[in-house]
Amino acid sequence: MHTYEVFLKRDGQEEYRHAGSINAPNDELALLLARENYLRRAEADLLWMVDRAHLLVGDRDFVAPNSDKPHRDNDGLLVAAHRKSQRGGM
Amino acid sequence: MGRTWSSMHDFEVFLHGGGMVEVDDDMPDEYRAAVFRFIELHANSELMGGLTERDWIPRTPGLRHKMAVLAKTQDEIGHGHLLYMVAADLGVKTRQEMLEDLFAGHSRFHNVFHYPARTWGDQVAICLLVDGAAVPSQKSVYKDCSYGPYKRILKRIIAEEGFHLRLGEERALRIAQGTDTQRAMFQQSIDDWWWPALRLFGPDSKPDDRLARWRLKSEKNEVMRAGWVQKFVPMLHSYGFTVPDPGLTHDPETDVWTCGPIDWGPLKKTMAMDGPDTARRIAEASAAWETTRWVRDALDAAPAGAVT
Repeated sequence: MHTYEVFLKRDGQEEYRHAGSINAPNDELALLLARENYLRRAEADLLWMVDRAHLLVGDRDFVAPNSDKPHRDNDGLLVAAHRKSQRGGM
Repeated sequence: MGRTWSSMHDFEVFLHGGGMVEVDDDMPDEYRAAVFRFIELHANSELMGGLTERDWIPRTPGLRHKMAVLAKTQDEIGHGHLLYMVAADLGVKTRQEMLEDLFAGHSRFHNVFHYPARTWGDQVAICLLVDGAAVPSQKSVYKDCSYGPYKRILKRIIAEEGFHLRLGEERALRIAQGTDTQRAMFQQSIDDWWWPALRLFGPDSKPDDRLARWRLKSEKNEVMRAGWVQKFVPMLHSYGFTVPDPGLTHDPETDVWTCGPIDWGPLKKTMAMDGPDTARRIAEASAAWETTRWVRDALDAAPAGAVT
């Protein structure tokens, strides 16, 4: 038995979203069970599934370095303060 | 991998700040156990409820309602499927172990699934009063649920339970407009199911409820129960039915209905696996598991890999 992760998407809207997971012995039955459990009332138009064993996961430690890169952002505060002082001066 | 907390205090500060727990987090053991028990109880109840629905597929009157019962059965079994998946991912018990415990009478399911559904009137009362209690209960869990995987699955479960409740409301209206025999049957079903459905909310919440502190519940039991009484008493009265509560009171100023004293004895009996239909229900569930063994065996024997 394999555990599959289920992703759903509506046509023309949003990105694929994780909907949950499901157990199935093979890909064919996984698709069928996902349709009958996650798409019972036209909740989406497209379905992606991936065997959990094949998911490539970047964990929190891998992602963490990029949460501390302020030089990649600009908060615009210096210019905003300048504009405000200009308006105040008129 | 996941996040970790140095103490229960730190974890509760995280929860209090609106934090969401995910499956790979190193959550405190007490929280993991409580979330698991909560989801296992829900999963067991969906499975037991789905099996009762299944019993009624051949007996449901009319093709349209028969098809609706088929869909409802599929929904409930599907909910069990998804919830066992979320519960198993917590690593406390496997799905197999949860099912074995259920069939051995070692794990619980909700009180309303310990009673027999004898007539079509009972099925209508269950679909109205029990689903009418399940929807607000599940919504209160969903609203502020701290465990992410459960919250995400609850969203779709609540949407489907909403269909069931509307089905129950339609059935109740139709039976109210039926013959005298049908109305008498439904009155008997209200008499039999009113209190079990009301007791589904449980006794009044304790002031320091751990499940509330950990954001697995966001509403007090007594508040949800009062809302349920306020919804169904006027509805059933307007259809010309009575509610079997001699202590029921009505405040003409506020138009609020309040139920009389509640006997919690029957709830305790069902929690001790000693309800009127407990043994038969468990035997039925266990038999259904055995008679479908060939499907699981066939699935296990199916070739793995891609669709050709």
